[in-house]
Amino acid sequence: MEYLATIGVLIAIYVILSSSYNLVIGYGGLSTVAHPIFFAIGAYTAGLLAIHSSLPAPCNVLLGGVAAMIASVLLAASALRVSGDYLLIASLGFQLGLLQLIKNLDFTGGPGGLTAIPGTVTGAARTPFFLVVSGLLAVATVVGIRAIVNGPYGRAITAMRDEELAFTALGRDATSMKIVIFAIGCGIAGIAGGVYAYYFQYISPDQFEVLQSAAILTMVVLGGMGTTFGPVVGAILLLAIPQAITFLNLPPGIMAPTQGIIFTVLVLAFLFLRPAGIVGLARKTL
Amino acid sequence: MLDPVILAQILWTGIATSAPYVLMTVGFALTLKVTGLWNFAQAGLMAIAFYTMFFVLNFLALPVLVALAAAAALTGLASLLIEIHGLQVLRDRGSGNLTFFIFTLILSEFIIYVITLLFGTEPETLFKSILSPVTIVGNVAVSDWDELAVMVASGGLILLYGFLTWTREGQFLNAVADNARLAELYGISAKRAWRVVSVIAALFIVAAMYLIGTHGGVVPNSPLELILTAVIGTLLGGIGRVFAAAAAAVFLGLIQSFSILVIDSRWQNLLLYGVLFVTILLFPRGVRLPRFRLSLAGR
Amino acid sequence: MTAVLRTEDLCKRFGGIVVSDSVNLTIDRGEILGLIGPNGAGKTSLFNLISGVLRPDSGSIYLNGEAIDAAALYRRARLGIARTWQNMLLFRTMTVLENLLIAPRSYPGESILRVAFTHRAVRTAERLARDRAMTTLARMGLEQTANDMVVDLPFGQQKLIGLARTLMNDGPVLLLDEPMAGVEGAAYETMQRVVREEAESGRAVCLVEHNVSFIRDLCSRAVFMANGKILRDGTVEELIASDALTELYFGV
Repeated sequence: MEYLATIGVLIAIYVILSSSYNLVIGYGGLSTVAHPIFFAIGAYTAGLLAIHSSLPAPCNVLLGGVAAMIASVLLAASALRVSGDYLLIASLGFQLGLLQLIKNLDFTGGPGGLTAIPGTVTGAARTPFFLVVSGLLAVATVVGIRAIVNGPYGRAITAMRDEELAFTALGRDATSMKIVIFAIGCGIAGIAGGVYAYYFQYISPDQFEVLQSAAILTMVVLGGMGTTFGPVVGAILLLAIPQAITFLNLPPGIMAPTQGIIFTVLVLAFLFLRPAGIVGLARKTL
Repeated sequence: MLDPVILAQILWTGIATSAPYVLMTVGFALTLKVTGLWNFAQAGLMAIAFYTMFFVLNFLALPVLVALAAAAALTGLASLLIEIHGLQVLRDRGSGNLTFFIFTLILSEFIIYVITLLFGTEPETLFKSILSPVTIVGNVAVSDWDELAVMVASGGLILLYGFLTWTREGQFLNAVADNARLAELYGISAKRAWRVVSVIAALFIVAAMYLIGTHGGVVPNSPLELILTAVIGTLLGGIGRVFAAAAAAVFLGLIQSFSILVIDSRWQNLLLYGVLFVTILLFPRGVRLPRFRLSLAGR
Repeated sequence: MTAVLRTEDLCKRFGGIVVSDSVNLTIDRGEILGLIGPNGAGKTSLFNLISGVLRPDSGSIYLNGEAIDAAALYRRARLGIARTWQNMLLFRTMTVLENLLIAPRSYPGESILRVAFTHRAVRTAERLARDRAMTTLARMGLEQTANDMVVDLPFGQQKLIGLARTLMNDGPVLLLDEPMAGVEGAAYETMQRVVREEAESGRAVCLVEHNVSFIRDLCSRAVFMANGKILRDGTVEELIASDALTELYFGV
């Protein structure tokens, strides 16, 4: 039961991460791989505040989101000054560099990670509580993003993706818009990080490696970029598949790379054969 | 004051250690210049190169030259296949940058996962021992590996320079790098240029991995870190400037080497990223030293 | 002086190629200025300099007497410089109406904060923009295409939509880059009529065209450019009558 509930919380968190990532790359058309680091910034900010301050938990989680948002604005503003394509490399560098910093600083717990993050709710109510909170946040994220991309703002984002030059020549500040989208997506990831920190009460740098961005990317590509429910489908699938594999009882040295192979093959297959993703496909057949 | 001998030692060791990174960076930067692509699939190629040599040397017990030839053949073939059946397909579809990035990165990860399955995660070296005979030259310790590394790197750079400047094939690469569509109008095949550069990069990768594999332990995940150095060097040198990128790789090696004097070794990696940050923020178009304009055909 | 747009000694070069050589151009309120000349003369580059796609090496641009050199591309559009593109650059995944709704100069619906806090104002703006878009489409006889995907329309209609989109920016300057290229028949007539109406309502219009009869029908004044320089400025008849220019234009 506890185990299933943890999976539930993880699914909710990954739905939040993949939906917000989809906002940035699928709708906004921005090339970035830095999503896990904003997740990390949120988690570490919330975790450190929980340990060292007496602010209430929701406040810390929110501050985690704010910290992630500020960092993302700094990154985007400097990278987009050069060009849109530059953001890809800049985000990679930012992701790796900041993670390295976290590994080397003492107050973040170093490579061992941050432990003993104080709990909030305790006892039997804990698991259902977190399940509800993360579930609600996931729903809010999906609904919120859907609201953003429908209506005039979504129209503007689509136009920017279609023909940025014409869009700009019609009086729209494309760079500001990109920064705003990036900030929103990364801020949401930061909040997910805060929840993650509070639930597991332990975070470490290797939970936020570049390979995580590959995992989130897989969810988005598989599910369908630029669709509302694609990332949701992707998140559920990508968390369900490893669970299915564990039932095969393979030795751990084989299991991890096998999972990796299955994911990467799926992404490559979809990339070449069905770039629209699962949800994109379903749309066409409806 | 500091002992000049120690300084000389650090200088020499820094240059020698940077040699494989120079090779990797040049392969990466050349690919970027000619194809316009940040080809992260090269991390996968690095893994293929190393583990092919490892397998031939340790499982088949064949001599070094066979191992090198096998690695060159396999890595070259893999690189070519990726170009023809992966990158070209995406190009024909008009795919965006993100798609290329996803493809190259995920492909590398796929290759690395397969290799993990086959070889495990223990660090491996190409030969049982990485100790290399040392000669003392003017009070500075020079190992055979150091000499080989510097020779291979310089040789590679010189050959590449000659190729790009004096052969037609090389000049075609420059033309395609400049403007692929315009080059096509003049009868130069862009596809051919891209294929040629994919093979050249593979060869540089094999050379680099041989040097790295005879100098320290390699795990399947190593290429992902190695390629980062290539990225940083390419950024510092400036996109499109291959030999400047090579110089940047040496510079990075020297920084790491000399920084031992002032900072703890555990901050070494961080230093690299610090340099990356500074580059991105202050020199996004690469560092341009006024006198440092190497005039080769192109850039 | 009724010069709405004025360029002063505008210069731009790319390596060895001079695309603008001390260009002094004025466009008056209510006039339709023709910009003619051989390919590569620098006509589109001049539009790019005025609208802000390119930065000049030297020289200035004045809109209603104020220098706009510091303004970025998007800001110049908000100041009222509207332009069309040779490649149309229509938004491919959107409908005709959606293409037009992007275009008004100010759009509260595109600011997240305003959407969140001034919801009613956003809805009103949306409604007003929709009305204006439909009116503009009606002027061209294209109201029925409002919900069609813009890529499904025939070429001539697409060009009209491109013009309609630009007209949604109701600023003082209209730059049309080869609006007639590839257009004939009813679409041609419509475009002529619409351009004339715009000028009559007070816009300063400048158009680049190779279609000499279009220029002759619409433009009172024209400017001949070659190699980045303005060679002649006068009435269309004067320019056409000049042997030297004809040779430049039609000669090898």
